Amino acid sequence: MKENASGERKTQCSDESKCFELLESILDGEMIDSGKEVLKEKLAKCQPCFEHYHLEQAIRDVLKTKCTKQAVPTELADSIRKQIQDIK
Amino acid sequence: MSEVQRRKYSQEEKNAIFDGEFMPHIDSMYNFGYRLTFDEDDAKDLVQDTYLKAYRFINSFEQGTNAKAWLFRILKNSFINEYRKKSKQPTKVDYQEVETYYNSDDVHYQSTSDLRAESVKDMLGDEISNALNSLAVDFRTVIILCDLEGFTYEEMAKILDIPIGTVRSRLHRARNLLKEKLQGYAQNMGYNTDVDEE
Repeated sequence: MKENASGERKTQCSDESKCFELLESILDGEMIDSGKEVLKEKLAKCQPCFEHYHLEQAIRDVLKTKCTKQAVPTELADSIRKQIQDIK
Repeated sequence: MSEVQRRKYSQEEKNAIFDGEFMPHIDSMYNFGYRLTFDEDDAKDLVQDTYLKAYRFINSFEQGTNAKAWLFRILKNSFINEYRKKSKQPTKVDYQEVETYYNSDDVHYQSTSDLRAESVKDMLGDEISNALNSLAVDFRTVIILCDLEGFTYEEMAKILDIPIGTVRSRLHRARNLLKEKLQGYAQNMGYNTDVDEE
């Protein structure tokens, strides 16, 4: 039977907790060699994994690009250097 | 990073390391300090304190190794040992307590599985920052180190003095908590979260 032809993903993940943690490690760049194959397989075959991966990726992107950054007070570097001078 | 004095740098070498390898990280250090304390003066003190310690213990730094991770570890230790003691500890959360609580397998991502990548992409910087800031400091820290500062699990393990496995699981839990917060924003802001009306 070919009803479940390739391209269709299963709608339930049998081991979500483990899979998601694995996907997160891959996204964090921790599984550079073995990760690619695992990832390809999971994204192709499992809808929950596919969605989780893209959600996690989106969250990482917004964390990186949108989180408010504080400008370093201009006098801080000078004040540190001055104190270092004093203990030299 | 051991405190054992491995070498003795000349004054010139010390200056070169300090200026070339330590000072370039002042921006990241200050932001880390600010995200831990939410206070500009406290962040300044923490950074200043960290750099003074770094200079004092410069002989235990191996030139050419990861200065940023080395500095972050000092800052994090200063925060725990000094700042947390001094402050009124508004965010004091017992690590063990939090870890045990969230370690239970019941806390799954299912609770927020309605959150969509599209709604996250539409969120404002303030919403993202607030969600991150609302996490307990220990969960906040792993996300800052990993996602904002780009440290590897191994570097994080060294900075935080915990095993890599704990880094991985703490991050996983931190991300689940963050998603819960984001889900809250998504619903309040009327983003599409695909929640069935009941």
